[in-house]
Amino acid sequence: MKIFFLIVLITITLLIVVYLYRVMRGPTVFDRVLGLNGISTKAIILLVVIGTVYGRVDMFVDISTGYALINLVGSLAIAKYLEERRELANDAD
Amino acid sequence: MTLIEWVELYVMSPIAIASIVVGLFFLFVAAVGVLRLPDVYTRSHAVSLTDSLGAFFVLGGLALYEGLSTNAVKILIVLILLYLLNPVIAHATVRSAHRSGLKPWSREDA
Amino acid sequence: MKSNPLAIKTLAFFLIWLLLSESFDWLHVSMGVLCAFGVAWFNRSREQTRFEIPRARIVWYYFWLVGRILQSGFHLSKLILHPSLPIDPRMIRQRTKLRKDAGIVLLGNSITLTPGTITVEVNSDELEVHAMDAESAEDVTSFRFDEQIARVTSSKETA
Repeated sequence: MKIFFLIVLITITLLIVVYLYRVMRGPTVFDRVLGLNGISTKAIILLVVIGTVYGRVDMFVDISTGYALINLVGSLAIAKYLEERRELANDAD
Repeated sequence: MTLIEWVELYVMSPIAIASIVVGLFFLFVAAVGVLRLPDVYTRSHAVSLTDSLGAFFVLGGLALYEGLSTNAVKILIVLILLYLLNPVIAHATVRSAHRSGLKPWSREDA
Repeated sequence: MKSNPLAIKTLAFFLIWLLLSESFDWLHVSMGVLCAFGVAWFNRSREQTRFEIPRARIVWYYFWLVGRILQSGFHLSKLILHPSLPIDPRMIRQRTKLRKDAGIVLLGNSITLTPGTITVEVNSDELEVHAMDAESAEDVTSFRFDEQIARVTSSKETA
């Protein structure tokens, strides 16, 4: 069972690399924000799986809850900051 | 071996493993979508696919694997939190893109 | 609900504390009461938020929503994995007949949560929805969500 969870962990980590490519590549700043959002969702899932592997789900669930809330505040702040900025939409590729 | 242990070993665990594998498949599809799709709006659909279906199956499988305990309830709390917060984040990102005047990609431009 | 909002909020926060901390000795429980009361007291100026208990039908609505999410999730997966990428994205403007704020919030959240449709802009009763193709767009234009939510929030609303 432990080996199965390790495979799950490695798969999700590899998927994070795909989102990291989108964050670095762009082309607009909104793609980067979207990529970061995807990465943080995967990080939350990753934390719960790690908790299952180590048998400490109670602790890791608390960490992932805090992570989800911080992610919400951060993403909303960035989205609000980028609103109504015409020059950002034009620098695509 | 009591009945509950037997059920957990031979019924719950295979269902949990199957559910997690289905969830990984959806996470993989979403990653492919993030690579292939043409613009922000369509990519946000792919990310929303991850949030709703991938997290649903993976976390649901983990909760089944934990069995009847407070841990399962806590994992379900994380799932509910994701379901409440992720649409808000996706909407905020797409709305800021829309208000900045980013044109959606359509069949005719390609 | 109008009797004493501070006490109700404190009780709700305290229940969440008990669920997350799982420890029932007197030290942790008293700390939980203190923290719950503190958070409720800091937010006492938000009393004007109208709080409505949804009807019991909302449980049924959640199961229906999971069914919709599964259905359109498989459809979207097929679109993404198809070699020629047969997507046809479009913007839809649509007026909703829901009147209560809670109903419109639930509608927007459900549309965004369903793969293939995403709420881009909400004016008071007009939604702007980005859809992946004609079949996803039909999810919104058929007023499927509106009907279900109208049954959840109030019997007076018509959809």
